[in-house]
Amino acid sequence: MSTTKLGTRPAPTPTPSTGKQDAPWLIVTLREVTVKIRDKSFIISTLITLALIVGSVVFSGIMADKTTTSTIAFAENSSTAALVTSANQLALDDQKNIELIANPVVDEDAGLQLLRDKEADLVLTPTPEGFSITGLSDVPANIQSLLADAAETQALDSNAVKLGVTLEDLTAGSTVTQVLLEGSQERNSMAMVMGFIFSFLFYMSAMIFGMPIANSVVEEKQNRVVEILATAIPIRQLLAGKILGNLILAMGQLCLFVGIGLLALNMMPTEIPFISVLFATAGWFLAFFLAGFLILAAVWAALGAMASRTEDLQQSTGPVIMVLVAVLFTGIYAKGTLLVVASYVPVISSVAMPIRLLSTDVPLWEPIASLGVAIAAAWVMVLIGERIYRRAIMQTGGALSWRKALKLED
Amino acid sequence: MLEVQSLTRRFGDRTVLDEVSFAVPADGMTGFVGANGAGKTTTMRIIMGVLKSHSGTVYFNGTQLADTDRARFGYMPEERGLYPKQQVLDQLQYLGQLHGMSRADARTEALQLLDRFGIADRTKDKLESLSLGNQQRVQVAASLMHHPTALILDEPFSGLDPLAVDSMTSLLAERAATGVPILFSSHQLDLIDALCDNLVVLAGGKIVASGTATALRARASAKHVVVTPPDAGWLREQPGVRVLDVAGPRALVEFDDEGTAQRILRTAVDRGAVTEFAPQRPSLAEIYREVIR
Repeated sequence: MSTTKLGTRPAPTPTPSTGKQDAPWLIVTLREVTVKIRDKSFIISTLITLALIVGSVVFSGIMADKTTTSTIAFAENSSTAALVTSANQLALDDQKNIELIANPVVDEDAGLQLLRDKEADLVLTPTPEGFSITGLSDVPANIQSLLADAAETQALDSNAVKLGVTLEDLTAGSTVTQVLLEGSQERNSMAMVMGFIFSFLFYMSAMIFGMPIANSVVEEKQNRVVEILATAIPIRQLLAGKILGNLILAMGQLCLFVGIGLLALNMMPTEIPFISVLFATAGWFLAFFLAGFLILAAVWAALGAMASRTEDLQQSTGPVIMVLVAVLFTGIYAKGTLLVVASYVPVISSVAMPIRLLSTDVPLWEPIASLGVAIAAAWVMVLIGERIYRRAIMQTGGALSWRKALKLED
Repeated sequence: MLEVQSLTRRFGDRTVLDEVSFAVPADGMTGFVGANGAGKTTTMRIIMGVLKSHSGTVYFNGTQLADTDRARFGYMPEERGLYPKQQVLDQLQYLGQLHGMSRADARTEALQLLDRFGIADRTKDKLESLSLGNQQRVQVAASLMHHPTALILDEPFSGLDPLAVDSMTSLLAERAATGVPILFSSHQLDLIDALCDNLVVLAGGKIVASGTATALRARASAKHVVVTPPDAGWLREQPGVRVLDVAGPRALVEFDDEGTAQRILRTAVDRGAVTEFAPQRPSLAEIYREVIR
């Protein structure tokens, strides 16, 4: 206790500040960001997610690149040896990552013995109809179909020679070309995977950064620090700083995840189809994410202000989480007309429109119009959210309903 | 000077403040007293703009109080509130910045205040790890950080130990000496008596007394102590005198008017020895009890 100092201090000047002063909303924003990035659990969860992203990219790359090798035992016979050779050639031509290792033996029994001893994976035997493959407990489907394809070509070849025609004569008119009205198969599967990733990222960010808005609002309300804050700065600036701070955090983390993910993909040797579509759509996704997040942020802030204790949030946030789950499922399952409609509904459009852009060629006006709708909705929601926040934040007593909160007077 | 004029506020059908008017002069401290539910907190919240009044105005130095003025006030709300999970220094710095201080100034000021309150060694601790008394000191520091132009303190002394009350009152006295109007509410009437130059008494949403302590004391019914050995019993027979208490030579009396007082004094001197004849100054606590009766 420094009682000796009492009264010795010169009288304070009523005008203190000399240094640089920041706008109130900026101070609030900076605080929201610094408090969060110093939070251990936030750092750890971000690092874990990053590790998962890089890990899954590397893992899927390795899996795609891995060559299946299989040792095939067969009794020395011109047709069996030729089949294995042509099967290998076929695998090479079609980039199938299958390698068959020929292991000629004296007869079938010797081959079966090798199979039982696990020194061979399969035994190939000629039959009157063609060939048979024997496995220990299973025959891998990709090897079965490769050998079947090779056998068919081989048979066609030799039959054609016998008939005195060419292979082309025999197969003429049998080509079936694949045409898809909506994109291509590869593009569609890419769109599905990316759709899943987009929806999941949106869901995660909205939870990780939206929920804290509600929590920090109710925390300030619960311990009444808001009364001091509200007398120091306009309450609108407090709200703006809060939303902006969490938006920066959300966008920052999202860019980090997407950036590291794309970088990892780029460093993998595998070629990624439609990478340009992916990059363009990632840009749209960020724009739509911003609008969707703003809407949710306003809702979270209003919910926080209407609650009187942190516990109240568990009930009132239910509908928001339902919407988020709807977003998640739309991203994963919606197709056709439903997807088109969803791509215009604010918040849901944040994932539905990027998915449409990924899977088909959408005219440019559509994402622009949808983004316009989302931004307009965000603007309205922020206004309503601010109105509720400003009035409900000073209320003490029980939690408020939306209806009551909108009717409050200052 | 801070002036409150005809504030009225209702919650539903209940009128909590009814035409409340008083002044908080820039010299000295103003004590704000009243029973629980009298409307002290409501008045303070209206002054700070946290709550709107249904009618009435607050003036600061002659002009209507604006939000920009309020931003430079120091406010300590009734329900204490800071961030429990944040470091003490960090949050004081943050609040200082919000009140328009630079980061560096806010930090320096916070350290000085914490040092004064004897908790300079707890700056890096989370607020919730401090004892309630120490949390209260941080709260007081938060309201003084930005060298406010006026101080509105709701029960600033509750929960403070005597040493903390001492350092707090000396700090407040310093601030008051620089011409900062200070309004604080308290239930500790002895503290009010020792500290306040002005008093505002609220009862049931109405002002029942307000003014300087001197004026209030003068207005309060004047009692006199008269000591006339060997026995003061004779005072009972005098017209215009109400005897409140007699114990041997000592009596506590109330005179109808100043003329009666002078007449009794002469009589007493004629009768013999007069060792004491003094008006008894009522304490503010007594005035309070009297006006809210």
